[in-house]
Amino acid sequence: MYRKKKGELLGIIITIIILILIVVFSNMESNTSFFENIVNKLVMPIQNSLTYLKNRISGNSTFFTDINNLKTENQMLQDKNSKLEQSLRELENIKTENETLKEYLGLTEKYGDYKTIPGYIINKDISNYSKVIVINIGKNDGVEKNMTVIADEGLVGHVISVTDTTAKVRTIIDTSSSISCLMSTNKDSIVCKGTLNSNSELKAMYIATDANLIQGDSVDTSGLGGIYPKGIHVGTIKTIVATKNITDRYAIIETAVDFNKLNTVLVIKNN
Amino acid sequence: MKKILINFVLILFAFIIYFLQSNFFNWFTIAGVMPNLFIIYILFIGLFGSRTMALVYSSVCGIILDLLFKERIGVNLIGFVLVAIIATLFDKNFSKDSRITIMFMVMGVTIFFEIITFFMNYILYSMYVEIWSFIKILIIEVIYNIIFTIIIYPLIQKFGYYIENEYKGNKILTKYF
Repeated sequence: MYRKKKGELLGIIITIIILILIVVFSNMESNTSFFENIVNKLVMPIQNSLTYLKNRISGNSTFFTDINNLKTENQMLQDKNSKLEQSLRELENIKTENETLKEYLGLTEKYGDYKTIPGYIINKDISNYSKVIVINIGKNDGVEKNMTVIADEGLVGHVISVTDTTAKVRTIIDTSSSISCLMSTNKDSIVCKGTLNSNSELKAMYIATDANLIQGDSVDTSGLGGIYPKGIHVGTIKTIVATKNITDRYAIIETAVDFNKLNTVLVIKNN
Repeated sequence: MKKILINFVLILFAFIIYFLQSNFFNWFTIAGVMPNLFIIYILFIGLFGSRTMALVYSSVCGIILDLLFKERIGVNLIGFVLVAIIATLFDKNFSKDSRITIMFMVMGVTIFFEIITFFMNYILYSMYVEIWSFIKILIIEVIYNIIFTIIIYPLIQKFGYYIENEYKGNKILTKYF
């Protein structure tokens, strides 16, 4: 009996030691990347097809239409296509002219300064407490760790780990995420953190006591911290929560990006 | 041959759970909260299979989930292995025939796993701590896991006893004496 209990205790101790060794050794950059690639190669082909199927079923009603309809539609589209090609040529001339005019006026497009790589979301973390997403572009496409990820509406997050064909992105709504921001009206600095409560809200903290918060004011990245470039739109101030002690007051920021409907993203290249 | 078949079915279950969890339950939530079927899966193996089997399956599942979704390996790995150890202890001390007992076991391991992983996330990733929000999500997750167990347990119980006969055989009764 004693020997049996001793054996069980020894078994548990050995398991814990092996676990610690696995955690320590596997967290060395090269090892992790190697195993991540293997796991991704195993899971991602099926995951990609399921995501594709899910997108088709949820967002496209023409998936199950009959062939006759498709033929008629095809004919119509071909006609439309030739007309569009003609318009495109005209538009290209106008575009060139427009760009020259923009240069004269000193205008730049919102994110025109950044070189971006487009990608789409293929997986989301299965935990309720983490909001990490996986995108379908990786080292082969030029994605690197700590690159900023944006969508049309604003900031999405940053790359935390990359494999050859995929990248993990920690979104700004993740509770481990923390962004240094500026309020657009008075240029006061705040820190925005993700919350467990919502997929569309951030908590703005460390607000200066003399800062003037305005509801509906736009919040952009400040460029501090070394990950996010300056001037990327994060969201707008939704509510201001006053506390007894003014240093503890905080604001709720509504994110510009709708994370529940987010499908496509852009990764900003560092250089 | 039977053991190979059992392991093949268990691996297949793991894949089904993974794809259900990442595709179906992302959408089929209660107040935005998903169940964690992997906890039930590891508990099931710990209760019916051998200790080695539970440790191997929990480690592999933990490592794969960490590689797929986490920056570092450790959170799911340690959480699942501890669930496996607890499940083997439950097997020694409680009956698996009572559905109420199973519900309490699911509740216990879900709470334990989430607290452990929350604590490790706080240490590893400097997670922002919101105790009330965490408790709210945890309660919903526990209820969801229990509901799921009530539905599937009668279906998987027979398969569980089949695994137990194959892996424990004549040791099943001796533990009570």
